[in-house]
Amino acid sequence: MTKIIAITGKGGTGKTAITTLLLRHLTKSDKVVLAIDADPDTNLPETLGCEADRTIGDIKEYMMNERDNMPPDINKESIFESRIYETLNELPDYDLLVMGRPEGSGCYCYVNNLLRGIMDRLTENYDVVIMDMEAGLEHFSRKTIRNIDDLLVVTDGSRRGMGTAERISELVHELETDVRNIHVVANKVTEDNKEQIQKTANELGLKLIGLVPTDESIAERDLAGEALYDLPEDSKAVIEVERIAVKLGL
Amino acid sequence: MAEDFPFEISPMFEGERIRKNDMYVELSGPKSIGFELVKAAEMDDVVDGKFNMIGPDIQDMEEGGRYPFAMIYKIAGELVEEDLESIVERRNHDFQNYIQGLMHLNQRYDVWVRLSKEAVEKGVTSFESIAQAIMMLFKNELPFIEKVEATYITDKDEIEKLMDEAKAKYKARDDRTRNLHDEDVDTFYGCTLCQSFAPSNVCVITPDRISLCGAINWFDGRAAAKVDPEGPQFAIPKGDVIDEESGEYTGVNETAKSLSSGEYDRIKLHSFLDHPHTSCGCFEVVGFYIPEVDGIGWVDRDFTGAAPNGLPFSTMAGQTGGGKQISGFLGIGINYFRSPKFIQADGGWERVVWMPKHLKDRVSDDIPDDIADKIATEEDVSDLETLRNFLEEKNHPIVNRWEKEEEEEATEEEETPQQAAPAMQMPASMPMNMPAMPTSGSGGVKIILKNAKVSVDKVIIKKNE
Repeated sequence: MTKIIAITGKGGTGKTAITTLLLRHLTKSDKVVLAIDADPDTNLPETLGCEADRTIGDIKEYMMNERDNMPPDINKESIFESRIYETLNELPDYDLLVMGRPEGSGCYCYVNNLLRGIMDRLTENYDVVIMDMEAGLEHFSRKTIRNIDDLLVVTDGSRRGMGTAERISELVHELETDVRNIHVVANKVTEDNKEQIQKTANELGLKLIGLVPTDESIAERDLAGEALYDLPEDSKAVIEVERIAVKLGL
Repeated sequence: MAEDFPFEISPMFEGERIRKNDMYVELSGPKSIGFELVKAAEMDDVVDGKFNMIGPDIQDMEEGGRYPFAMIYKIAGELVEEDLESIVERRNHDFQNYIQGLMHLNQRYDVWVRLSKEAVEKGVTSFESIAQAIMMLFKNELPFIEKVEATYITDKDEIEKLMDEAKAKYKARDDRTRNLHDEDVDTFYGCTLCQSFAPSNVCVITPDRISLCGAINWFDGRAAAKVDPEGPQFAIPKGDVIDEESGEYTGVNETAKSLSSGEYDRIKLHSFLDHPHTSCGCFEVVGFYIPEVDGIGWVDRDFTGAAPNGLPFSTMAGQTGGGKQISGFLGIGINYFRSPKFIQADGGWERVVWMPKHLKDRVSDDIPDDIADKIATEEDVSDLETLRNFLEEKNHPIVNRWEKEEEEEATEEEETPQQAAPAMQMPASMPMNMPAMPTSGSGGVKIILKNAKVSVDKVIIKKNE
């Protein structure tokens, strides 16, 4: 059975950093892992220290633009599937798929319907799928990925960040997607704001699965545009994310 | 028999993906060349069960390597004919994926195959076992194949030499499929993907009519319905022909009734004014009747200006969409312009008077030569008056209709007003949808009143001067 983990949250809260550190943990075991960057503002490849030159969005456009030029009886699903496999970035420790740009005008019903089937088959090949998603949960509503086991909502200490976490939880219920568990991860936690964060979380009825401390080395690497994937073992953030991973049974 | 092979064979393995780390060799694919081809042959030309290998076999290949790869199957049998080649060829994809440790993607000269390290460890050291398994499956699953012979090629020069022949075969097949028409099949396909927001929409896909969104042709419908008959694309038995010209079939009407929950019980596939196809909201282009010239204009979503009737795409799309059947407006997929049956019930291309320039250019190859320069674009006209002048000046066939109508009008005045029974449909929920009335003769107005009580002492109908 494939375990599917999605990470979301307000922009700037550090969800991509948390995704990267979770992936770092996962690849140390012999699990076969697929990482999906489902945020149109593609950041994950950079924090992972790899490049992604083609995206699912590009392939969807290709399917839209070329459909009338393809031979009439050609099997479009199999062309689409093959193209998606081409965009898979096959790295030694894991595979990476980037969703990329949002849809253009026109009707994507058919393309998305094909994509759902292809993604279902693809994800079955992995032990764990870990997905970095934008707060709007567009790919949830399109159901391109179904049946999420654990949704992690990353928030910083601010009331607004927490508010977003609350709204995302509500949105998930409205979208009627199959999400088994929702957890909240507080990020950029300091000794000073720790208590307040826990208090706010309690008030909003949010379940905190972990409090990831502010880690200077992350900020430094962010500034320098360096990858986070190879942070040292003793990084405070790495240690806390590993604890979260254990709680999630990863 | 399956136990003779050094691998398991089951549809269970169909979704199996071979990752780069786990792969022994990659064959053909985006970074190499190759193809798959099924050829119908005479009984005497096929040695049943024979396997030919040209080029290095698996045991001669380097681990982690990439090689060109072509697969040719010659099939023979009393019922085997050229038309079956592509159907059989498609099964090569399915059957190769049934083999554990083998991944087959795409088709024709885009095939992409990977063999896993595990499979090689278990004894798949020659293509012979793979080819034999495929030949066995061909004969078991497609009983019309009486004899089959396989040739696998990994020699680059040899593949390049045969590539032209393969491409010519594919092209000949495409030409045949392009010549497939509504009258050649007994099944159409329906699609309900749009029903989430257009609940009464009835999308009927035929060889001569692509889906309104432009994404699904008849072959796509057939492929999807075969895999999942209960899915969003499904078969519609054509039934009896009621009228071939306008494209009315009993099977389509029955499906329309059930899909629209009784809202519509007649759909004429190639009609614009009378019982046209419903329009979902996804359509690429909307057609609009222009009563002032008795012609039809078309506007697509990329055209941001106003059509000669003063309305932009968005306004007309809003009026047309929602799964309604509205005479006077029609949503279509761009490829429908290429259909030989394109609104043939209403005169086809001879009824088309206006299109945006970029749309006209896009389908220019399919516009009949004698009409092409008579269809106005935004570069020629800006409103109804200039459109009318343009049509007159170019002597568009529609002008003949005006003359005829004027004659008819002259005689009509003396007749009883029976003929004026108009044919415009006004859905009760969308009173604003009423397209302008045709000036006379053709079309007319039909008014449907639902749950209405009408008591009238006197009705006067006058022509609007």
